[in-house]
Amino acid sequence: MESRENQSPQDERARVLVEFLEVAITSIIFLKGVYPGGAFERRRYMNVVVQRARHPQLRDYIHSAVTGLLPFIQKGLVNRVAVIFSSTDNIPVERFIFKLTVNQSCDLKVEEGDLEFSLRSFLMKLSVSGPLTKVLPRDCRWEITAYFSSIPQVGTSKYAELWIPTDTKQWQQPPLITPIKSMSSEPLFMQLYLEHPSLSEPKPEAKNY
Amino acid sequence: MSRESSRSANSGQRSKRSLNSSNYSNNSNSSNKKSKISNQKTLGMAWGANSLSSSRSSFRTSPFSDFGSYMVEKNRKLQNQFNAEASNSSHGGSSSEKPIFDGVSIFVDGFTIPSRQELRGYMLKYGGRFENYFSRHRVTHIICCNLPHGKIKNLRSFSGGLPVVKPAWILDSVVASKLLSWVPYQLEQLADNQPKLSAFFAVKNTPVAEDALNVMDPSLKGGTSQDAGLFVVGDPVKEGEQIDGQFGDHDCKIEEPSSSSGKSSEVRMVEPTDTEDESSVNNEIRSRSCPLSVSVRIDCLDNQNVRKSPTPSIAGPSNPHHSTLEDPNFVDNYFKSSRLHFIGTWRNRYRKRFYPLSNEFRCRSASTVNASDNSQKTTIIHVDMDCFFVSVVIRNRPELQDKPVAVCHSNNPKGTAEISSANYPAREYGVKAGIFVRDAKAICPHLIIFPYNFQAYEEVADQFYNVLHKHCSKVQAVSCDEAFLDITDLGEIDPEVLASTIRKEIFETTGCKASAGIAGNMLMARLATRTAKPDGQYYIPPERVDEYLHELPIKALPGIGYVLEGKLKKQNISTCGQLRLISKDSLQKDFGLKTGEMLWNYSRGIDNRLVGVIQESKSVGAEVNWGVRFKDMQDSRNFLLNLSKEVSLRLQGCGVQGRTFTLKIKKRRKDALEPTKYMGCGDCENLSHSMTVPVATDDVEVLQRIANQLFGSFHIDVKDIRGVGLQVSKLENVDISKQGLERNSLRSWLTSASTATRGQDSINNIYNERTNIVPPSLYDLDMGVIESLPSELFSELNEIYGGKLVECIAQSKGKREDSSGSSRILYHEREEGCGEGPLASNIFPPNMILVEHTAKQHISEQSPSAPPVSGAGSNNEAYQTAGLVNIDLMPSSLSQVDTSVLQQLPEELRADILELLPAHRRREVISTSSFVPVTENAQEPLKIAENQSISVNSILNSDLWSGNPPQWVDKFKVSNHLILRTLAEMYYKLGSTGNLSSILQRAISDCLYILDESDDSWADEASHYLCELLKQYIEIKIEFDVEEIYLCFRLLRRFTKKSKFFLQVYNIVFPYLQSSVGDHYGGHLHISPHE
Repeated sequence: MESRENQSPQDERARVLVEFLEVAITSIIFLKGVYPGGAFERRRYMNVVVQRARHPQLRDYIHSAVTGLLPFIQKGLVNRVAVIFSSTDNIPVERFIFKLTVNQSCDLKVEEGDLEFSLRSFLMKLSVSGPLTKVLPRDCRWEITAYFSSIPQVGTSKYAELWIPTDTKQWQQPPLITPIKSMSSEPLFMQLYLEHPSLSEPKPEAKNY
Repeated sequence: MSRESSRSANSGQRSKRSLNSSNYSNNSNSSNKKSKISNQKTLGMAWGANSLSSSRSSFRTSPFSDFGSYMVEKNRKLQNQFNAEASNSSHGGSSSEKPIFDGVSIFVDGFTIPSRQELRGYMLKYGGRFENYFSRHRVTHIICCNLPHGKIKNLRSFSGGLPVVKPAWILDSVVASKLLSWVPYQLEQLADNQPKLSAFFAVKNTPVAEDALNVMDPSLKGGTSQDAGLFVVGDPVKEGEQIDGQFGDHDCKIEEPSSSSGKSSEVRMVEPTDTEDESSVNNEIRSRSCPLSVSVRIDCLDNQNVRKSPTPSIAGPSNPHHSTLEDPNFVDNYFKSSRLHFIGTWRNRYRKRFYPLSNEFRCRSASTVNASDNSQKTTIIHVDMDCFFVSVVIRNRPELQDKPVAVCHSNNPKGTAEISSANYPAREYGVKAGIFVRDAKAICPHLIIFPYNFQAYEEVADQFYNVLHKHCSKVQAVSCDEAFLDITDLGEIDPEVLASTIRKEIFETTGCKASAGIAGNMLMARLATRTAKPDGQYYIPPERVDEYLHELPIKALPGIGYVLEGKLKKQNISTCGQLRLISKDSLQKDFGLKTGEMLWNYSRGIDNRLVGVIQESKSVGAEVNWGVRFKDMQDSRNFLLNLSKEVSLRLQGCGVQGRTFTLKIKKRRKDALEPTKYMGCGDCENLSHSMTVPVATDDVEVLQRIANQLFGSFHIDVKDIRGVGLQVSKLENVDISKQGLERNSLRSWLTSASTATRGQDSINNIYNERTNIVPPSLYDLDMGVIESLPSELFSELNEIYGGKLVECIAQSKGKREDSSGSSRILYHEREEGCGEGPLASNIFPPNMILVEHTAKQHISEQSPSAPPVSGAGSNNEAYQTAGLVNIDLMPSSLSQVDTSVLQQLPEELRADILELLPAHRRREVISTSSFVPVTENAQEPLKIAENQSISVNSILNSDLWSGNPPQWVDKFKVSNHLILRTLAEMYYKLGSTGNLSSILQRAISDCLYILDESDDSWADEASHYLCELLKQYIEIKIEFDVEEIYLCFRLLRRFTKKSKFFLQVYNIVFPYLQSSVGDHYGGHLHISPHE
């Protein structure tokens, strides 16, 4: 925050984006009710009421995960960031996908206000998108997964090492997509949508119900 | 081993061969059997290892450890033999023979006439060397009559970069008793394929040191002595690895030794792929550097720069990173060697040099204009140098004065370079400017051809004008070698004496001859010179003008060209006498006012022009129509950049800036073959686009941007381009243009218009406000809004930002098929840059973004007529008034009404305008501009547009979502189908946010009830339109706003419950939607069936 003046627009944008992701992911976790409500506290971010994880471990996980993405987002390598809720046998039940497109070449200085305006609408929409989501099975797991447009070089940052290959399984069928929010505020384009297993997907997780 | 296999292996294994050859020199005994085999393979039969069996048997019994060392020994022995014989023959009486082949070492390949033995004999006799076995290090020339196809195809690996020459070279050299240039004797087979530009640049280092007379190739001297140096230069192993690609390296490497140790190594590096034509180009380029004293170094450097030319061919696939960075020099060099360029830019130089003189004179002449008008005694001398371009070149070569000499940039007897000037002896043979060298050589075999010497031309031209200015202050330069003198004021001097004095002095100072014509006006003086030539003078006194003109063919008159002559010939007029019989009126009727008058005057010897009126050039530009071959967009972009640079330099040179930019393109006609003229433009269509900007400029960057924009608007395949020219007109002197900015801008137009309107005050106020506004910084602009502006407005804005807008937009632009041409180039560039695919930003129809950004006041301020719907503030009113201005200005002549402006006008205004129009033109306007009536009085436009039917095709082709308001709105507006009309209506009711979802939403809440009654005969067509609309909408939105599409389709889903029409549409589009989502998101949109 302090060094904002010295940053290039790209870096600045990436920073805002990462910050936003942290809040948004926390909101998703809260929304899904994975943890008891007491694990969160109300905070204000971008003038919207959001939830913040109180448990340091939870907070750290989310924080370090998205901060680790920062260098890659700056480079425009990150394609999608997914919050995946999966059953105990690692089969995803629901995935929240943030699809990011950052126009790297555009060095227009984005009005912070504009960006915030757009991002805020995400958070607001997110807070009311509970009905769109599925009820999670008991004992579910969740993780943050990032999809890269190309394999990043190792050792670009110390945070990068925190990222490990996922062992979450893939769906066999193309998922069903439920868009939640899209924004396009040049040069940043972000869409949040839900992915659910297709109806024809074999359902081994059914036993968990 | 069979011959075939040895041949084919030969082609592929150069590296090994080279390796072996280095083995020889090392005399290595360690070579193993493997190397022996490869040795065998690569050298092949022709290369000397006579037969495997024989060598093997001898090898078994011989003391040699292996084949390699055997060959070394054999070569050594043969060489000794040769040396011995050579010394014998030189001692034996023939010592008088000149060692003309000193430094030449030939290798004879295959069957030749005369036989290799004879050739060997010649080499023995004349100090050359003869190699029995090929070696890159010892051989300087390969002699052969015929090459098998395989070797031609893989020439480099066959010849190792050495020249492949016909035996006639040796014979002719012997006859001429001097070493001739081998270039004309190059094997014809190699000339078959049409070379590309790069090939031509790549070779030009070849015969560096030949002068234009083909006397002797000094670089050949001591060629062999440089073997050691060469070894370093042409590191054989490395070279073998990448035959073509390494050529660049090669050149770089050679540069060092050649610059330090002289020219010797140059010959070795000769590129043997030259074809005849290429070598003609060689000559040309070579000759550009000083003709006799050749600077190897410069050529090398040059070569390096130019080699990577816009169209690389030999650099082909092995050189994929063909860097066009260095292209630039093509344009540079092109103009450096262009005579027209010299002539064109000469004036500039002249003006600078003699400015004070001519200026002073102009002042005086201005005062005497009237006087000279009345007095009939004006005397004009026209001085013209005789075949300037030739005589300058040979001015120091008296022995050539009587020989046929021509100037041309190439001296290849088979070349298709055009003779640019020929001296009188040559003209007697029929050699004249414009014919190909090969034709000239055919007419006049001993024609001597010189290259241009621009430096000398400048020098002589300066001297020429010095002389003229010395004698007379009223000098009008016509060109570098031609001028008019007004000697009226000089008083008593006899003009003929003066003319001869001047001519004599010119000859003494420059060594070149000049002719002079003397008469009462410029026309007659010029005609007199015609008679005077060569080297003479002629006086036409006023009383003899009629007589002189009577028999003069009309073609001789200036201003009568081919076309006009043809027209006159049709009327049976071929002399001025005949022309005089026709009345001025009928001439003017037939040929136009000006031309008619000119003809009438000229045929009577009347010419009222005054000497000294230097015509200000009306345009400055540069055009290249030779050697233009682009491979891809990148090439053309680079080319444009360099062309812009050149034009910018010229503008700066003339001290002017221009506002109108015209890009001319020569496009190969579809059926046109490769032109006869080497690298010429051939049969071309000439296309041109131009663009006027409000602020005159000479800035390279702006020029380049404009050029790129213009180029983009051509939409042609770059491969078809054979010539490009950039011309700048509407010139303003630099100081002037700095004062009066933006003369033609919309703003000033508004101001001037505003005075004529009723709403004067308010407009003026608003206007004044605006004029003070500094354009917002580029970053603050919303590209979506900018992009949606009508093109005129856009280009103006673009200009305000110095052209950067286009770039910005292009950068932010994704894959929009209909992206405007101007940005396409940039777009391509981007695509190359980021492999990940286009990052689209402006995929949305502009006005959607607009909703979010109506707050951005400055944008709307900047673009007065942009979105009539954005923020209904005072601004909006202002726009409307601006619209009124429009009406008042041009109510009657519709052709001048800019439809795109009309389109932006509010509904009432437009209706008003339309009423003013003649009825038959209305439709035209409606169809050209897409009208969007505002809902309040939607009835009227409907009436107007009633008889308009939408054609299915037009709707399919057009982009329904482009424009503001999007095109679909007008199409639907006038549709016969109720639902479509309703949708269009909704668009307005919503204040045209452009979001389909909000339109549908509104439609659902407002008029769901009407949907049932929509069963009419138009349903099919209408559903077709709607499907198309939706599909295009999906295409636009899918990548970045799936949410919007999701909303739309959920709404549509609700419609389907009520309306069969929508159900039909929904069912058609839904699969399309899902597949599209699948493409982008790898899934299907989840639209719940129970909405």
